[in-house]
Amino acid sequence: MARLMFDAAAIFTVLFAAVMVVHRHPVKSVLALVVSFFGLAVCYVMLSAPFIAAIQVIVYAGAILVLFLFVLLLLNVPEETRGRDPRPIQRILSGGALLVFAVYLLGLLRGHGAPAGGPGGTVSFDVAPLARLLFSRYLLPFEALSVLLLAALVGAFVLAQQEKGETRR
Amino acid sequence: MIGGIPLGDALLASGALFLVGLAGALLRRSAISIFLSIEVMMNAANLALIGYGSALGTREGQIVVFFVIAIAAAEASVGLAIFVALFRHKETIDVNKINLLKW
Amino acid sequence: MNPALPLWLVPALPLAGFLACGLLGKKLGKSFVTAAGVGSVGLATAVAYARLLPFFSGDHAPVVERIGPWITAGGFSADLAMRLDPLSALMTSFVTFVGFLIHVYSVGYMRHDETEAGYARYFAYLNLFMFSMLTLVLAQNFVLMFVGWEGVGLCSYLLIGHYYERQYAADAGKKAFVVNRIGDFGFLLGMFGLFSLFDSLDFDRVFGSAAADPAKYAPFLTVVCLCLFLGAVGKSAQVPLYVWLPDAMAGPTPVSALIHAATMVTAGVYMVARCNVLFRLAPEAMGVVAVIGAITAIFAGIIAVAQNDIKKVLAYSTVSQLGYMFLACGVGAYVAGMFHVLTHAFFKACLFLGSGSVIHAMGGEQDMRRMGGLKSKLPVTYWTFLIATLAIAGIPPLAGFFSKDAILAGVFEHERYVLWGIALFTAGLTAFYMFRLVSLTFEGSFRGTGEQEHHLHESPPSMTAPLVVLAVLSFTGGWIGLPRVFGEGADRFTAFLSPILLPLASAEEKAEHALSNGTEWLLMAVSVAAAVAGLLLARSWYVRRSGRPAEAIAASFPAAYALVAEKFRVDELYDALVVRPFDWLARMLWKVVDVLIIDGILNAGAFLVELAGDLLRFLQTGNVRNYALTLFLGLVGLLLLVIGFGT
Repeated sequence: MARLMFDAAAIFTVLFAAVMVVHRHPVKSVLALVVSFFGLAVCYVMLSAPFIAAIQVIVYAGAILVLFLFVLLLLNVPEETRGRDPRPIQRILSGGALLVFAVYLLGLLRGHGAPAGGPGGTVSFDVAPLARLLFSRYLLPFEALSVLLLAALVGAFVLAQQEKGETRR
Repeated sequence: MIGGIPLGDALLASGALFLVGLAGALLRRSAISIFLSIEVMMNAANLALIGYGSALGTREGQIVVFFVIAIAAAEASVGLAIFVALFRHKETIDVNKINLLKW
Repeated sequence: MNPALPLWLVPALPLAGFLACGLLGKKLGKSFVTAAGVGSVGLATAVAYARLLPFFSGDHAPVVERIGPWITAGGFSADLAMRLDPLSALMTSFVTFVGFLIHVYSVGYMRHDETEAGYARYFAYLNLFMFSMLTLVLAQNFVLMFVGWEGVGLCSYLLIGHYYERQYAADAGKKAFVVNRIGDFGFLLGMFGLFSLFDSLDFDRVFGSAAADPAKYAPFLTVVCLCLFLGAVGKSAQVPLYVWLPDAMAGPTPVSALIHAATMVTAGVYMVARCNVLFRLAPEAMGVVAVIGAITAIFAGIIAVAQNDIKKVLAYSTVSQLGYMFLACGVGAYVAGMFHVLTHAFFKACLFLGSGSVIHAMGGEQDMRRMGGLKSKLPVTYWTFLIATLAIAGIPPLAGFFSKDAILAGVFEHERYVLWGIALFTAGLTAFYMFRLVSLTFEGSFRGTGEQEHHLHESPPSMTAPLVVLAVLSFTGGWIGLPRVFGEGADRFTAFLSPILLPLASAEEKAEHALSNGTEWLLMAVSVAAAVAGLLLARSWYVRRSGRPAEAIAASFPAAYALVAEKFRVDELYDALVVRPFDWLARMLWKVVDVLIIDGILNAGAFLVELAGDLLRFLQTGNVRNYALTLFLGLVGLLLLVIGFGT
């Protein structure tokens, strides 16, 4: 049963990711991705990572993609034009490489297909062990992360600044 | 709910998702689309990590994903700032046309 | 033997003189240089004689004084060691004494024309030369001898080029050095051969091993001896490496006297005499030595006849006399050869210094055609010069007669009649051209300019005193080696040198080869006759008939005369055969190999790098998608490789 739910959610995720890739309108792309991430969150839950699922929804879907939307709307980014790609070689090579890679990946996965994984039968919703790990062994990376976020904040601010004399866009 | 998820399923999903993201990164011309595809690829990796974590019965996988998501947030903000600055100057998001580093 | 005075002091004193004059001379002035430069040699002479006199009168056992270890490398070792034996004692005796006389002479000769720096430089190098020469003759092994050998060559170059602002002098110095080097190459090869044969370069070890086991070494010694002889050919100006000596006359005249007459050029003879043990085991080599000596003697003598520069005549005369010495050694008459070395040092030095006196009086003129009648103006010079000329011509009872006669007798004794004939003819030739020189210079009437005539004066005592001393020695010096016909034991010279120079000859051999008394007297008479004939012919042509017969001959055979006057154009021959090809080769190596090929390769390398860069920049498309694709393709490639190896 859990497996079924997982598979469904997974297919859902991949499907909407594909939609995102295909769509020309940027806003529609982002929204498709939001939906896809919801599906991904369900997958996480099925894999006994409820906290991560929550984070995924709150941070990824809810903050990052929203940021994307903000930028798109702010700058009024146009639809991607249909047009002949002036460099078809790029597409050909990409396609070929992707095919090879796909084959490789599938071959790789075949080795791991056996259900040797999965320790227990139940899906666990326990968050406490995660918290314990995070605040003991991984405390330093955790704190460093906040510094990183600060740096990113400053960097983004500086990069996106308008130069003197430029009119507000 | 009964039954854990076999690792193979999770990995297959992760692989498929990765391929989708990769295709988008290579084949799209819009800068935003490429960026989004990269995010997809990162999530595929996250999925694989969680899958392994669950299969091995440890919480380490989730810890890593936690950090990955946080860093993805930072990276996205900076990347979008770059995108904003770029768009202001060039007025286009077609990466084919952004080639100042050309020989 | 005076234990208080070590042998090494003898060369060390001039070395100190070199340092003093060289470092301090310019600052402290000419008087200091005179004191230091001449004083050091004087002291060295005194020290040498303090050791030599007891040696001469006591037993003549060789003395080896070891100063200390010098080179030890693997199987090879050479010590700093000096040797006093009859041969080295002989050499030291006249090198120091004649050297001292010439230093005294130089004071008068060089004092007025030179700057402080030039004067100091001259004496410094002259002292350095004395150091090198004394090291050469006192060395106990070939390596130390070679140090002295090279040192005298260096000093020769430095002193020939003393007037270095004159292009001719600088070129002459270089020529001397380069030609010498060719000889030195032979010497080195010989040393290598000796080491490989005997595992040592010490005289006692080498000669002792060779003497002890002749059959083992003899086959190889021919080559080794010829190589060593090549060194002597260079240093002692034999055919074909004599060309530097006439040009060396560009140096100051005392230098010519010391280096190119009395001492340095005799180093080759000394070396051959020292190695007589080896040469005796290589008869073919000895034959070569004799033949080259004879050829050189007559060849140089012929050239001397037609020279007009007073110093050039003396230079070719030196070459010719050196040929005599080698001829003697080559037939086995080593004692006679060394005898001639000694007497030649006396009279040739006297002749050169006398010519220096003449040139000094003539205000620098060296062409004999512009001289004449100097007899009355320069009496001391004239008389000493005349005595020395009689000596070199071989007129008894002067020194040259005894030594030259000894050589001729030796050659005849060893039944080399052709060489004897050549030597005899050359003796007559020597007398002729020397008396030609005397006649043109001192006899007759003055042919120079009025201004020169006004300037004529006898030289100061510092110059004439050495002349007198040398003249006396030229007169009496031969009396230590009277021929056997005057009685057994008259030949003290031979008795003195025999242990060193005649070790292998047994008494029977000596008796076998010995000439009868009658033959000896006859030979003596013949050689005197040849000398007198040359003398009379010269006087007849140049004094009584003012050179007209000679001019007539020259006019009748203009081509032949030109050839001889131009020294058979040997220098031009060498230029065409050797110098120009080398020049061409050097130019080739420069323009083609160095510039074109080597630089070309380097430049091509740089060019290729640039080209690669030019091409590679096309990878920078500036297109992000391209970069992403490239990354991905690389990844796929790597994965394929992993699949290939992993599965």
